[in-house]
Amino acid sequence: MISQIAIQLLIDKLGKQNVITAAEDLLVLGYDSTPGLHATPDLVVYPTDSDQVQSVMQIARDHKVSITPRGSGTGLSGGSIPINGGIVICLNKMNKILEIDEENLTATCQAGVVTLDLFNAVAAKGLFYPPDPGSQKISTLGGNVMEDAGGLRGLKYGVTRDYVMALKCVLPDGSLLRTGGKSVKDVAGYAFKDLLVGSEGTLAIITEITVKLIPPPQDKRTFLAYFDNIRIAGEAVSKIIAAKIIPSTMEIMDKATINCVEDYVKIGLPREMAALLLIEVDGHPAMVAEEAESIERILKEVGAAEVHVAKDAEEAASLAAARRTALSALARVSPTTLLEDATVPRSMLADTFALIEKLTEKYGLTVGTFGHAGDGNLHPTVLCDERDNDEMKRAHAFYDELYDQVLAWGGTVSGEHGIGIAKKEYLARQIGPGGVAVMKRIKQAFDPEGLLNPGKIFADDQE
Amino acid sequence: MTEKKKLGNFTDQDAPQYEDVLQCMRCGFCLPTCPTFALTGRERSSPRGRVALARAVAEQKLEFTDAVKEEAFFCLDCRACTTACPSGVRAGEVMEVCRSQSHQRFPLHHVGKSFREFILQRMLPNPGLMEKSMLPARLYQRLGIQWLVRHSKALKLGPAWVEKAEGMMPGLEAPLRPQLPELTPARGEKRGRVGFFLGCIMTLMYPGVSRQTVKVLAHQGFDVITPKQTKCCGAPHLNEGDRQTARELALFNLNLFLEADVDHIVTDCAGCGATLKEYEELLEELAEHERLAAFRAKIRDISEFLDQVGLRTEGLKRISKSVTYHEPCHLCHAQGVSSQPRNLIKQIPGIDLREMNEASWCCGSAATWGLKFSEESQQVLDRKLNNVKQTGADILVTANPGCHLQLAWGLQQGGLPQQILHIMELLGMATPDHD
Repeated sequence: MISQIAIQLLIDKLGKQNVITAAEDLLVLGYDSTPGLHATPDLVVYPTDSDQVQSVMQIARDHKVSITPRGSGTGLSGGSIPINGGIVICLNKMNKILEIDEENLTATCQAGVVTLDLFNAVAAKGLFYPPDPGSQKISTLGGNVMEDAGGLRGLKYGVTRDYVMALKCVLPDGSLLRTGGKSVKDVAGYAFKDLLVGSEGTLAIITEITVKLIPPPQDKRTFLAYFDNIRIAGEAVSKIIAAKIIPSTMEIMDKATINCVEDYVKIGLPREMAALLLIEVDGHPAMVAEEAESIERILKEVGAAEVHVAKDAEEAASLAAARRTALSALARVSPTTLLEDATVPRSMLADTFALIEKLTEKYGLTVGTFGHAGDGNLHPTVLCDERDNDEMKRAHAFYDELYDQVLAWGGTVSGEHGIGIAKKEYLARQIGPGGVAVMKRIKQAFDPEGLLNPGKIFADDQE
Repeated sequence: MTEKKKLGNFTDQDAPQYEDVLQCMRCGFCLPTCPTFALTGRERSSPRGRVALARAVAEQKLEFTDAVKEEAFFCLDCRACTTACPSGVRAGEVMEVCRSQSHQRFPLHHVGKSFREFILQRMLPNPGLMEKSMLPARLYQRLGIQWLVRHSKALKLGPAWVEKAEGMMPGLEAPLRPQLPELTPARGEKRGRVGFFLGCIMTLMYPGVSRQTVKVLAHQGFDVITPKQTKCCGAPHLNEGDRQTARELALFNLNLFLEADVDHIVTDCAGCGATLKEYEELLEELAEHERLAAFRAKIRDISEFLDQVGLRTEGLKRISKSVTYHEPCHLCHAQGVSSQPRNLIKQIPGIDLREMNEASWCCGSAATWGLKFSEESQQVLDRKLNNVKQTGADILVTANPGCHLQLAWGLQQGGLPQQILHIMELLGMATPDHD
């Protein structure tokens, strides 16, 4: 429990309206988008600048209260859930874009800026911020950095990490620190900034972010390819990559996903098809034309049932928007949607689809699979009911077996959602006791008291 | 929906269904579409937060507290979250049901209760009484507002609502209902026979609009049947959580219009249309399934209907004006009617349709919300007016009396030059008079 003295100190620093203790508010700030996880904080604060974040951290440090950072609560591994109670620090009122630097091609913003708002603001100046997680309309930049969020454009443009140039953050000892800068090159000391990206809020609370911007592509072409068999779709992906073409987007949806998405968006997706690929190439018009031609040829060679080209940018945007709803749309079917984030080397895609099909049957489950096929990053999603214990057990057995093989193929247990609470066991399996030990030593060096976002990435008692 | 097994800390009468709250997977797609979340940044004032509160009550992790009640009424019920939700969660409807729960748990004290009952159970269900009370209209205005002033505390209306309520009242003409013939015959080649559901606010406050609706329908080749006994659709009752009276009214209207033997039932009030389309669920256990389905299949908003049958544009007069369209929540979000009004506007010769930003964002009227939360309502309205302003259009078109009142008031207060019209007034202007 948090003491009255600490509460009063927080009120003095942040103002009464930014320190929340009502039960109903606490209740709704203890979840994110991860199914089945919920914990109630003792108190919630809404800082509005870096200094206030620092004050909160210092009060938490002095009073030995756990503190868990939160953006918009769209995470998919439980990273912002306060499992020990304590303080939840909501950063979504820190939502100012501080600067768009057109000479250095950078943007600096507070941690609570919504991803799409940044995208739109820089687009208005003829610039491009590529990372586009499915939740870009809602998610915050701070959350994106902490989880190293990916998105539909990851294949060609990379993920959030590839765009972070500088961070301003508050460390668990209460100090305020800047790392990185606007220089394109920087090898001064440890790559501290890179350690923070993807640290899931366990090493520091990020308050400001400077990101790299690039010129937008001049032209793009969007394809929708349908397949009678999902393995053929997997082959098509491998063949396109092998032909040395890197599309900006290469997304897959299986039949279950197509149908759920179509139920919602109603744009005429093919309900009877086993899979579809959404492929986009962009860049210089001449290169786009050339790559588009090759892709069409490859799709026909591997045996795609149909290939369509989006007639204009609006249609292309509606297809991408439809794809972004996939996870939420799958939730129409069942009360609970268990989502995973398995990622394999791209040459193993067709085998991964075959494995998912086999395991689905073996465990008698309903599974919808979608994901960033071009990255080898799949989201096999079990559609189930958390009230059915037996079904939940089978779902976990499904993932256990799937991950064993994914790891054997040299894949990873999380491509872009993070470990959080949900995947602690799987991480240990992937990196082994030595890997966990070194990560825990890093955590201890930053946060010896274990106050910042406790219980994430590895269990406290994990060896 | 009447008698269900008790769910957690809800009472057994009119409780949400557990499946409806469990359906939310908390992705947050609703957050950027919610006007009250935009105002407060507070999770509990978002659709995701409200559904989580209802789920906590259902799972007995929370009592049905004052805060839950507050959220049930602070929700605008604009349904923007329903449109945005890929998982099919209907947070607005869950909150509507929670309003009913609120009344079961927190009975109003005497004055508030008797006023609420007077309006919901005596006035609204009785068109004749309402019309009498509006005659003379000025007297009504004065008496009605005096009454409200005296009891404003008990009703928990927001600050400065008096000026707003007075200022919003349009210049009143005589109610339309007694003047409209039961049958207005089709003009030109006849295309069918429609029943016209004339809503209370339309007949009392916007008789000129609905007169145009009938004129347009007749010109388009439809016999228009307007049953004089039509009662309130029940929307205010659902809105205030009086589901029982709503059911009685719904049953009456269902029978009335099914007997009228019409091809379609058309309304020019988005709020009525949304409610009429919900009769099927509301009366689930009170009427035969076939009758409910038959009724549901006939209900159309006027724009939806005209777009579906195809507008006869021959002979339409030219209107050389620029127009921008505000989508009523109860049309675009509750009924999914969004492209149809635009299609109609574009077919009027001479019209230049200019899209505003956030056309489907609520205007802040939301039935009595605009009077209860007058400050918040003003902020939502300002956002809308700013978007209207940027279009530079001559005319602001909408399709629902609640929006019409709020926007007219906003334009007037803000000194904006736009004229406001219901889409049927615009179409009426383009439709030649036959008399």
